[in-house]
Amino acid sequence: MQQHSLELTSGAELRKTFWPTMRRGVGLMRAHRLALWASIVLAVIGQIFTISIPWATGRVIDEAMRPRDTNQLRYLIILILCLAIGRFAVMYLRRLIAGTMAINIEQDLRNLVYHHLLSLSFPFYDRNQTGQIMSRATVDLTALRLFLGYGILFFTQHTVSVVAVMAVLLWMNPIVAAFVLVIVPPLGLLAVMYSRRSQPIVTEAQQALAHVTTQAEESVVGVRVIKAFGQEDQEVVRFRDRATDVFTLNVMATRLRSQYVPIMDFLPTISIALLMLVGGREVIQGSMSLGDFVTYSLLIALMVMPLRMLGAWIGEAQRFVASAIRIFAILDTEAEIVDAPDAQPLPAGGGAIHFDGVTFGYDWDRPIVSGVNLDIAPGSTVAIIGRTGSGKTTLTQLVPRFYDVQHGSVLVEGVDVRNLQLDELRGAIGIVAEDTYLFSATIRDNIAFGKPKATDAEVQKAAERAQAATFIEELPDGYETLVGERGLTLSGGQRQRIAIARALLLDPRILILDDATASVDASTESRIRRALEEVMQGRTTLIIAHRLSTIALADRIVVLDDGRIAADGTHDELIGTNDVYREIHDHGLVDRRFVDADGDHVIIPVGVDQEEGS
Amino acid sequence: MSRGPIGIGGAVVSGKGLRKQGLQRLARLGTYAGPYRWRLIGAITAMFGVLACTLALPLLLKAAIDSAIIPGDTRLLAFIAGSVVLVGIVGIGLSRAETYLTGWVGERILTDLRGDLFAHMQSLSMSYFERQRTGVLISRLTNDVEALQQLVKDGLTSTVRNVLTLVVAGTILLFLDFRLALATILVFPLMALLTYFFRGQSARAYRLMRSRLALVTAALQENLNGIRVIQAYRGEARSRAALAELNQSYRDANKTTVTSSGWYFPTVEFLAAVATCIVFGYGGYLYVDRSIEIGVLVAFIGYLASFFDPVQQLSQVYNTFLAGTAALDKIFDVMDDAPTLVDAPDALPLPALTGAVKFEDVRFGYNPERPVIDGLELNVLAGQTVALVGHTGAGKSTIIKLLARFYDPQGGRILIDGHDLRAVTVESLREQIAIVPQEGFLFNGTIHENIAFGRPDASRADVEQAAREVGADRFINELPDGYDERVQERGSRLSIGQRQLIAFARALLVDPRLLILDEATSSVDIQTEAHIEEALQRLLADRTAFVVAHRLSTIRSADLIVVLEHGKVVEAGSHEQLLAIDGRYRGLYGDWAEAVAR
Ligand SMILES: Nc1ncnc2c1ncn2[C@@H]1O[C@H](COP(=O)(O)OP(=O)(O)OP(=O)(O)O)[C@@H](O)[C@H]1O
Ligand SMILES: Nc1ncnc2c1ncn2[C@@H]1O[C@H](COP(=O)(O)OP(=O)(O)OP(=O)(O)O)[C@@H](O)[C@H]1O
Ligand SMILES: [Mg+2]
Repeated sequence: MQQHSLELTSGAELRKTFWPTMRRGVGLMRAHRLALWASIVLAVIGQIFTISIPWATGRVIDEAMRPRDTNQLRYLIILILCLAIGRFAVMYLRRLIAGTMAINIEQDLRNLVYHHLLSLSFPFYDRNQTGQIMSRATVDLTALRLFLGYGILFFTQHTVSVVAVMAVLLWMNPIVAAFVLVIVPPLGLLAVMYSRRSQPIVTEAQQALAHVTTQAEESVVGVRVIKAFGQEDQEVVRFRDRATDVFTLNVMATRLRSQYVPIMDFLPTISIALLMLVGGREVIQGSMSLGDFVTYSLLIALMVMPLRMLGAWIGEAQRFVASAIRIFAILDTEAEIVDAPDAQPLPAGGGAIHFDGVTFGYDWDRPIVSGVNLDIAPGSTVAIIGRTGSGKTTLTQLVPRFYDVQHGSVLVEGVDVRNLQLDELRGAIGIVAEDTYLFSATIRDNIAFGKPKATDAEVQKAAERAQAATFIEELPDGYETLVGERGLTLSGGQRQRIAIARALLLDPRILILDDATASVDASTESRIRRALEEVMQGRTTLIIAHRLSTIALADRIVVLDDGRIAADGTHDELIGTNDVYREIHDHGLVDRRFVDADGDHVIIPVGVDQEEGS
Repeated sequence: MSRGPIGIGGAVVSGKGLRKQGLQRLARLGTYAGPYRWRLIGAITAMFGVLACTLALPLLLKAAIDSAIIPGDTRLLAFIAGSVVLVGIVGIGLSRAETYLTGWVGERILTDLRGDLFAHMQSLSMSYFERQRTGVLISRLTNDVEALQQLVKDGLTSTVRNVLTLVVAGTILLFLDFRLALATILVFPLMALLTYFFRGQSARAYRLMRSRLALVTAALQENLNGIRVIQAYRGEARSRAALAELNQSYRDANKTTVTSSGWYFPTVEFLAAVATCIVFGYGGYLYVDRSIEIGVLVAFIGYLASFFDPVQQLSQVYNTFLAGTAALDKIFDVMDDAPTLVDAPDALPLPALTGAVKFEDVRFGYNPERPVIDGLELNVLAGQTVALVGHTGAGKSTIIKLLARFYDPQGGRILIDGHDLRAVTVESLREQIAIVPQEGFLFNGTIHENIAFGRPDASRADVEQAAREVGADRFINELPDGYDERVQERGSRLSIGQRQLIAFARALLVDPRLLILDEATSSVDIQTEAHIEEALQRLLADRTAFVVAHRLSTIRSADLIVVLEHGKVVEAGSHEQLLAIDGRYRGLYGDWAEAVAR
């Protein structure tokens, strides 16, 4: 399962995967190949126009100026103007087509990655930090779209212009061309060496940047703890360290750039010098015209820009591959929890759940629940209790199939959940998780999250049942109040009640309450409990709880210990046989001493009281 | 090469004031270059050198044609060719220095800025963090700094270089031939006008694009954060549709930038060709008149490129400039947001506490118009354990936030050992108190690191001791790596109760004088809770403690029970005292009792 982690591969491995990744990345463009070809063809035509202008310039010198022929001059100038107009038209089209292609590619990429992320299952999100994922979905995606949108086109365009210029040079005068073009092989070599050496650094720098993002996120989200413990300085030091890592790597990349790029930039001057020595001599000897000499000098200049750009795009190609590897790591993470090919709809029923020899662990070698056999009758209410970390939450998460079991099977309505359509299965289950997550939206939207079409009356009813209606109505905007991100502007108990309302609104066949009232005060809890008694009619309810008051709602109690079922039965069966349950019970009884039949608060001592006198 | 924007930016800048304000921002950014001015001066000097080398080439070519080739002087030709090589070599050396130095200074400035920004953020008050969306704050530290990177590394140098090139090339043109230069420069106003229109159009499109992109990114972030809820409630299809729609609107904004650069750049190229025609048309006649030499024309063509390129590039740099200054704006906005809770100038360090706490007519509301705490009076003696009870939303957590001075009250005052909280340094206060908050927030790190968070130098033995006190040692020892086990982001590899226990141990380890427990054991099982309570009896013997809990068993042993309602104390006293009066506590108590009586 370790493949879920998005941490990066080594430099050596990266080099090995360079071409396959490149090929695969380019494959993403299949849908846009028509536009790509069109823009390549247009770019090549535009390049031909571009090269013709220096050629015409040479003609001006040889045919019009030296013979001082003004007619020819006029004619050639009109020719140049025509060439320029032709180039304008072609380049305009090229930019429109290529630009549109680039933004379409970006849109495709974003949809592809985002959609995939939404489909990935819990194990993926267990292992990867949000900051890491975000950095892939933004920074890496940018590198991808740049290269796919513009890189391939420019790469071909620049290659074509370099080759075309070389061809023209050779055609005009092979000997001079041979001298002038002597710089091309070393330039190519330098470009390749540069790419080889900077690739690993670029990759590492990107990873370092992702670490900055992650740390930033954590420090912002955890700021309350940081402040409470006065650890701001420590966090700042850590952050600066992370930022310095980025600095070090970027400076390394800069150093490499400074070693290679200036040489590539100024190599063409050697060509100019050679042109002067060889070509100039030929002009003096009369075997080359001055016009050709000028054309040559202009063409060399024309070659410089594409050569430089090729170098830059080689750098961009590495960024692309590095980013593509990271994005493919996401795309290749298969959503494990998907509908089986022959998945069936959820059969009608009252919400029967059956655990059959279930073993599961987040890591393969560390089972969290093992060998669980449990039969839950439709319409019954079962409390799951056990010590912290005993696997209660884990067990219930197997019912909506957030994770797949390692051994055994979980059946709902008699069908293995792996053979059920996820949509139907989860639609029939309402969950109130122990850590409440609310979206930054209105309270209404949060309650209606699972059923956006719910009417206001339905929303209100759900809120009432969850004992949330009173406080919501007291808020300035009522149900339309925006709750801040993570619901920070509500108190803990208020958040929990909204989450309960959200689950109740679904009117689910199976209700899972994972410690759903932990942050709610006793009075509110007792009101929720009364509402729940009514709500639980006709549905199967799993309640995870530590408090006797909540456990008391259940017909049956299951005690988990270290992932195994330690006891299973009614209150009366367990009270005499199970230590865990008895302890919870006794603890709760501390409070019982004061109750009498009338509900008047009179002290009634009860024998079992371990904490007497404390 | 123009590189698109990265990530979320939300560049919603008002067009007009942009330029002036932008320059001010840049000047402020400039102060970050201060410590590295010698390198910067070196970089700029090298840049001048590189420029000279680049611009020398057409002149050398002119000399070669006019003075060597046409007269047939091969020795001079060899000499000029040699000079070209020399210029090339010098150019390489200088360009190296320029590349390295500008890169280094740029990176350094960004790193410093990022660090300062982070440090500043950490000093801001809680209310600031509750107002801002997490995604936005994070993007200040990441995307906005990245957007600046372009400006700092390429944008500024290339602006200077292009402007210089423009001026120098123009001057050389004038010197080469006055008449021809004036004729060619006729094209320039046209070009300027074109660029002006383009810039306006592209700036608008760019702003729109960036604000749409910011929406896309923020939506993605929230979807990832809430992915578990989304999947549990089958919201995937809806999220997908919403994200796709945002993508579409972003693409549409992008489309306008494509159209505007579609006509601009080819037009600029066309104008350059027109200028070439002018050189040859007018220059040709001048040549026929024998008032100009061919070499001059060739040099002219050469310089025309140096003249037009910068105009084009400057308009490209303008986008970088826009993105960069917009990012700068946002970054400096954060830096200018003064922390609302700062030490008073005469704040004294709090001496070692005995732990007497007094709330005097304290008033507070997150929104001052809606008070949450309304005239709170409370007197806690040193060493007492105080339990705060009340309905959810009564303001229990809020009192605790006030006590830790995450917020300052809007009225009244809070005294600790007789010192007003506002008169002592925050650091000395937080050193002596420890909070176990409602949500056991853990950092991505090992268990040891999390427990030792408030005392990073604590020994393993101390950490283990703290874990034992809260009964967390049992499960930690069962983990494959024990105390070195890494808990994922927010502690997601641990159960909720386990997270709470770690957060509890973290508070105990700092050995606080004042301990604040905000539902610290709400998700912990009864057995472990009993264990903790037992430990607390001992640990709290000589300290003051504030406890928020919903379980009676936790509350009843408190020395003082305070019942809150709508931010006011409605009852206070010991368990027995409160039961004796027929009030709120008995009401609450009835609910507890009823629950277990069934
Ligand atoms: N950051 C905030 N911004 C605005 N309002 C807030 C904020 N935090 C809390 N509130 C509001 O202040 C009131 C008191 O909240 P507080 O968290 O103090 O309640 P509590 O008594 O601790 O409740 P619980 O028992 O549910 O934790 C609530 O109505 C809540 O909605
Ligand atoms: N995502 C995860 N990855 C790895 N281990 C996990 C993960 N979630 C939980 N665990 C481990 O599985 C065990 C059971 O966790 P679970 O959340 O099911 O406990 P629980 O019984 O619900 O406890 P609590 O009462 O504290 O909520 C714990 O030891 C925990 O460390
Ligand atoms: Mg749990």
